[in-house]
Amino acid sequence: MSALPPTADFQVTAPADAPPGALDLGERRDRRFLHGSTQTARWIGWRLRVLVLAALTGCLLLLILVRALAEVPALPLELQGNQAGILSLTDSSGSPRAVRSLIDAQGVQTPIDSLLLQRSARWLPGDAERTGHAAQHDALARALAQGTLQLQLDEGQVVSIPARRHGVAGLGPMFWLGSLLALLLYGVTMVVLLVRPVARNGLYAVMALSQVGNLVFVAIESLPLLGWPVGFMQWDHALRCVFDLATAAALVHATGIHPRRLPGSAARAALAWAAAGMLGGLVLAAQVSHVWWWVQGVTLGCGALAVLQLGWVQRLQPHPLASVLWRFCALMVGTLLLLTVSVAALGEETARGGQAVMLGAAVWLVFVASMLLLLPFLSRTQQLMREFSLLAGLSAVATSLDLLFVTAFSLGNFASLTLALFIALGCYAGMRQWLLNQLTARERVTTERMFEHLYRITRKVQSKPQTLSDQLSRLLRQMFEPLELRLLPRRSSHARVVGDGASLLVPVPLVTPGATPKVILLGFAQRGARMFTPDDARLADRVVDLLSRAVAFDQAVERGRSEERVRIAQDLHDDIGARLLTLMYQAPTREMEEYLRHTLKDLKTLTRGLAAANHRLSHAVAEWKTDLTQRLAAADCDIGWDFTWDTDLELGIVQWSALTRVLRELVSNTIAHAQARRVQIDGVLEAGVLSLTVADNGCGRNPQDWAHGLGLGGVRKRVKQLGGHVQWSEVRLRGIVCRVVVPCKAESAEE
Amino acid sequence: MTVKVLIVEDNPVARSFLCRVVRESFSDSIGITEAGDLETARRQIGIAGGSSGMHGVDPFKLIMVDLELPDGNGMDLLSELAHYPATKIVTTLYSDDDHLFPALQRGADGYLLKEDRFEVLVEELQKIVRGQPPLSPAIARRLLTHFRQGGDSERNVAHGGFTRMGGFVTSKPVPLVDKPLDHERLTPRESEVLTYLSKGFTIKEIANLMGIKWFTVNDHIKSIYKKLNVSSRAEAAVLASKQGLV
Repeated sequence: MSALPPTADFQVTAPADAPPGALDLGERRDRRFLHGSTQTARWIGWRLRVLVLAALTGCLLLLILVRALAEVPALPLELQGNQAGILSLTDSSGSPRAVRSLIDAQGVQTPIDSLLLQRSARWLPGDAERTGHAAQHDALARALAQGTLQLQLDEGQVVSIPARRHGVAGLGPMFWLGSLLALLLYGVTMVVLLVRPVARNGLYAVMALSQVGNLVFVAIESLPLLGWPVGFMQWDHALRCVFDLATAAALVHATGIHPRRLPGSAARAALAWAAAGMLGGLVLAAQVSHVWWWVQGVTLGCGALAVLQLGWVQRLQPHPLASVLWRFCALMVGTLLLLTVSVAALGEETARGGQAVMLGAAVWLVFVASMLLLLPFLSRTQQLMREFSLLAGLSAVATSLDLLFVTAFSLGNFASLTLALFIALGCYAGMRQWLLNQLTARERVTTERMFEHLYRITRKVQSKPQTLSDQLSRLLRQMFEPLELRLLPRRSSHARVVGDGASLLVPVPLVTPGATPKVILLGFAQRGARMFTPDDARLADRVVDLLSRAVAFDQAVERGRSEERVRIAQDLHDDIGARLLTLMYQAPTREMEEYLRHTLKDLKTLTRGLAAANHRLSHAVAEWKTDLTQRLAAADCDIGWDFTWDTDLELGIVQWSALTRVLRELVSNTIAHAQARRVQIDGVLEAGVLSLTVADNGCGRNPQDWAHGLGLGGVRKRVKQLGGHVQWSEVRLRGIVCRVVVPCKAESAEE
Repeated sequence: MTVKVLIVEDNPVARSFLCRVVRESFSDSIGITEAGDLETARRQIGIAGGSSGMHGVDPFKLIMVDLELPDGNGMDLLSELAHYPATKIVTTLYSDDDHLFPALQRGADGYLLKEDRFEVLVEELQKIVRGQPPLSPAIARRLLTHFRQGGDSERNVAHGGFTRMGGFVTSKPVPLVDKPLDHERLTPRESEVLTYLSKGFTIKEIANLMGIKWFTVNDHIKSIYKKLNVSSRAEAAVLASKQGLV
């Protein structure tokens, strides 16, 4: 195993048993993130050295190749081929002259035709053509090696041409592009292999290195001038076949064990490897006829098997990686099939039928290589992969159409290519959106709906900050439709994608300073159909940011409000209170003094209501009782007190101050007017309804006839404010009873 | 012999009102000193024998302090007079426990609400001087929390000490904190009285409910006051010794 910490306590990758195989870069990054940098040094140690060594080796090999190729003699002429397979040369007057054969220094004459223009035999379906192709190239190579060669034109004319070395400058842009891509893929492969040298990554390496080989050969084939070493074409053909077979077999093997191990995968892998190995051996030994058909058959068979295996994984359990891989695999195999069918349909014509096939094959190859290159970074490169696959599809369609036009309608090369490109581009423009949707299965919530969700949830969070994590979970669920969603006690500063797109970790903003930090783990976006991308992480970060800002704003507003209230309360109490007190002391009459005292008490209730938070009912009752007892005692009046409640709820400021003042007002009335000897106060809170009765045994009668002065009006107003009602009636023998009924619900139960 | 009384109050009208209350409350001959701010009050106390009251020949017997004064808070004066052997009473307009509780902690023997009627004030003042201080439900609640928390923290410390000791043997003596000092604990009776008070029961009702005499309830209340006072003084002393002041 690797030098990574063996006790990785944080495994986010999905229920599927295997974490993404060739895609371990992301995982490694996350583990390193989670374990701090202590392991980094150990990891870097020898692997970094090996990596540098491998990269240097790669560059060195390329350098050697370049030097060797630059020394190879080439034919400094541009030959053209026509429909009939005849090569032609443009003479100084600008008219084409047919070339029949080449004659080397020994005088050996070899007939040549447009097969010579084919750079590789890999896509020549017929055995005879391939042999001819190799023979012509070998003859050319031998003649070039001798320094000069002669070309016999029609009408018996012979031209003598000195061979010229390719030279480093003459290797052509295609060579450099191809070899650079090969080098890049090689580098990525080495990184993947070194990060975690396990079987899955080994298979990835087999596929990638095979394609590196293919690319190198394509690069060499793409030299602008003709002229390769003797025997190159045989090796080119054999090795490219072997590379393709190895890739196909490794693909079957890899898809059998990743993203999850499938039953019987070992047998299928063994079968694939056996078929590929046997065929590869025969190809190398040149012991098989109809080579092209066999190789295409095995490659396509393996490809189809791989697609089936990925589909099977999807069937067993939706897995975003499997679905993405399935699509790309299917596309790859599909385009290969299209190419194969085109070439097969063309048959013998292929050999002399222009460059379209070669072009198509090269494009396909570059496409496969790019896929392999991007695979380790799948979650961040999905967009790029999609564009690539579209491009590949487009090329395949254009090539096939071109071939079709050439054969079926006998159009000229240029006309058919133009028409094919035109039609392919038309298809692309028309179907791009549909194709993209199909490729990504992205039925994202529309912007409008998303905004609506976001707005609603922001409002909810603002009104109840403590529900933030629930609301955030709900929002993320709506946004990404994950298969699973969990809350983990973990700290994270920002959202990030882990398990290469399988999961997304989103931090929950802290509402209160002391709370434990949490993250929300989202697994498998779009019910397992989609992978998370860094874009998703950024979006989640923005959402979290927005919500925490909403909460902070709300808290700031609340704090400001309460500070302001306290300040107003203090000012009222200190200034107005002191003045009222002075007035009270200097009051000329007893009534005036009482009135001022009453006002002062009201002021105090008011300021306390402003300054204080909520009051618990039991506390309020205790204070009411003490206050009223004291006042009634001073007026020489007995008090009966009975207060019961089913829930000890928190009274809001409005409720508390209104009830306090109602009670005080009622008792004041009794003291002032009723001359009662006893006041009985009962209160019951039951099922959210508070009923208060204040009964006296005084001399009051006929409450309907009372003048509703400030006192009683105030009581009515306050009870109404609480949404209740008040009623005065006579007690049978003596006195008045006042009954107040108000709804009294806990504030939190409002929803 | 005249009884010396100091009234610290910035509002002259209120001051003369309080003078009337004091004169009405006691039959002895009264010598009232009035102070409009803290500075005057401090000077008067200095003349009368310093803040400890030990050197003076004739200290104040009763000091009434308003909380809001032009040159500071009456609480400060109370803190300075922690060891002054007078009955200290807070006269204020603030009736909430947030203001009164700290005053009681700083050694006030009771409080009078200035907006109460003359007769009520006289009665309350007499009660305080006799040792029957008032206790509103809110303050009773605060007292309960105060003593409960004190007890809790003591217990936690003790527990921590034991678990530390359990694991291995050490030559260090067990710290003395596992037994809370007496002045930091309420007796069950006192807790009961406080609980009733916090629910709004009068002393008479409490006496009935507990089946004890009225003045026994009052003794409990006095004792609670003393404990609060002593415990806060002890806290201050501990703090002072920690800071190397004593």
